Amino acid sequence: MGKSNSSSRKTVLLQRNRDPQHGLKISFGVIIAILFLVPIIWMLFVSIKPDGFSTTNPLDWFLPPYTFENYTNIIADTLILRWVWNSLIVGLITTILTLFITSLAAFALSQMKFRFKKTIFVFFLLGLMIPGEATIIPLYEIVKNMGLIDSYAGLILPMIASPLGVIILKSFFDGVPREVIESAVMDGCSNFKLFYKIVLPLAKPALAAIGIFTFIGSWNNFLWPYLSILSETLYTLPVGLPVFNSAYSQAYVLPMTANAVASIPVIIVFLIFEKQIVKGISFTGIKG
Amino acid sequence: MNKKSWLRDMKAIPFLLPFFIAYVIFTIFPIFKGLEMSLYDWSLVRKLDFVGLENYQEMFTDPHFWHTLWNTTLFVILTTPTMVFLALGLALFANMRTKLQTFLRSAYFLPSILSVAVISFVVIFMLQPYSGFVNTVLHSIGIETELYWLTDKVLAWITIVVVTLWWTVGFNMVLFLAALQDIPESLYEASEIDGASRWEQFRHITLPQLMPIGRVIVLLQILASYKVFAQILLITGGGPGGATRPLIQYIYEVGFRQNNLGYAATMSYALFFILLILSIIQLKAQRTEER
Repeated sequence: MGKSNSSSRKTVLLQRNRDPQHGLKISFGVIIAILFLVPIIWMLFVSIKPDGFSTTNPLDWFLPPYTFENYTNIIADTLILRWVWNSLIVGLITTILTLFITSLAAFALSQMKFRFKKTIFVFFLLGLMIPGEATIIPLYEIVKNMGLIDSYAGLILPMIASPLGVIILKSFFDGVPREVIESAVMDGCSNFKLFYKIVLPLAKPALAAIGIFTFIGSWNNFLWPYLSILSETLYTLPVGLPVFNSAYSQAYVLPMTANAVASIPVIIVFLIFEKQIVKGISFTGIKG
Repeated sequence: MNKKSWLRDMKAIPFLLPFFIAYVIFTIFPIFKGLEMSLYDWSLVRKLDFVGLENYQEMFTDPHFWHTLWNTTLFVILTTPTMVFLALGLALFANMRTKLQTFLRSAYFLPSILSVAVISFVVIFMLQPYSGFVNTVLHSIGIETELYWLTDKVLAWITIVVVTLWWTVGFNMVLFLAALQDIPESLYEASEIDGASRWEQFRHITLPQLMPIGRVIVLLQILASYKVFAQILLITGGGPGGATRPLIQYIYEVGFRQNNLGYAATMSYALFFILLILSIIQLKAQRTEER
């Protein structure tokens, strides 16, 4: 490890020397990065301004006075924490159920022998070509007939059957060394045991990638919750925030505080898991 | 023997069944249900009359359908090339060897994890005329014109496109970044010995190596852009005067405001076929990729 590190450092130095514009390029990259962050930073600063704040001097947005009163007010007077909680619960349950049912199906398709295996796989593959947005109207009718409109179950269940998840996990399970499987079977391992004791632990990177993906997807899902949830107490954040924000047009502070309350948890989670999230996306993106 | 294979098949059932049920009910069945609905007058409450192909006839002569389909297509045309080039550029920056690497990657990607509601409302408030952040910055550098970002047709389109780029480009950047890191270092070393300039290296090594993932990104982006809805609904509401209203918003309005799920399902089919054709092209392209 140390050796390859020092030799790659040498090529780094070599390349740096060969590119006279390296510093310029970095500065440009940093300027774009700052531009990308400006709206988020602006939101965070406005959220700690005194209520009713407005200015015509751009710098004033970022300078004191600051106050955290808005946060206590927003949390006390609105359902926003409830909406964070709904988004969190829906995201977590969706992720767990998705991982559970897709990994079971992928295990069967990868490691078990049965009739019509190929047909079933192709049937699941078809799902990749069916865009959820285009079947949302009949989906609404189906979920309504099941009596699940305006419920957690109605938010979660339609989202869990991810064909992409099955396909990624199947190709991952296919890569588990034959000897590992065979020696476990020799020891009299049942299929379920083989699944959760051996194959599943080996598939952690794939599961993590799909899990992160599913959670972010659910956290940001707008169209389906927008259609299927009617009660304010069941709103997820993407549905609830606009209702709250629309009530204000010129008052900047409270809407930005609400947006900050909605964003700070995900920003923290992102900063902690940045590496895994980025890796997960390239993992599923390329394989999918 | 026969009994044995039957037993073997039975063992697979508990593994397949949970996914199979959810998949059939929520992914496959809606396609057939949608077909049925498109042949009826169908309100939010119940099925009304069988109307045959009338909904389809209505669709072909409905100016709003064509207009919103055109808006959606315009959005695809405006976002796809800009998105791909921006993603590539950012990936090149994010791949530079510098201590700031993690900062660059995080900054480019961070907007993607924020909720569409958050990004939309931050933008709405930043773009307010007279008192918003963007116009106050423009005033302070001497641009005195008052820009009405969300109520001028052209500016509204620019806003929607720029916001979409900002919000979603990080995802494509990561895909490019992964591909960049897969390019063998030896290719660059060899070309260096041959005395290739950095531009030549980029043209003859980096770009060709990125072509496969580039094609996938283009197709994924077209698919994603055809489904645009949330940020437009929240930022411009489809305005001014329907100028930015996308197809999904119109489908939503027909279904849930005009109480006509049958016609909404019919138009969903139009979108379905567009996306289906694009998906088939995408899968074909990816298949060729893997070969």
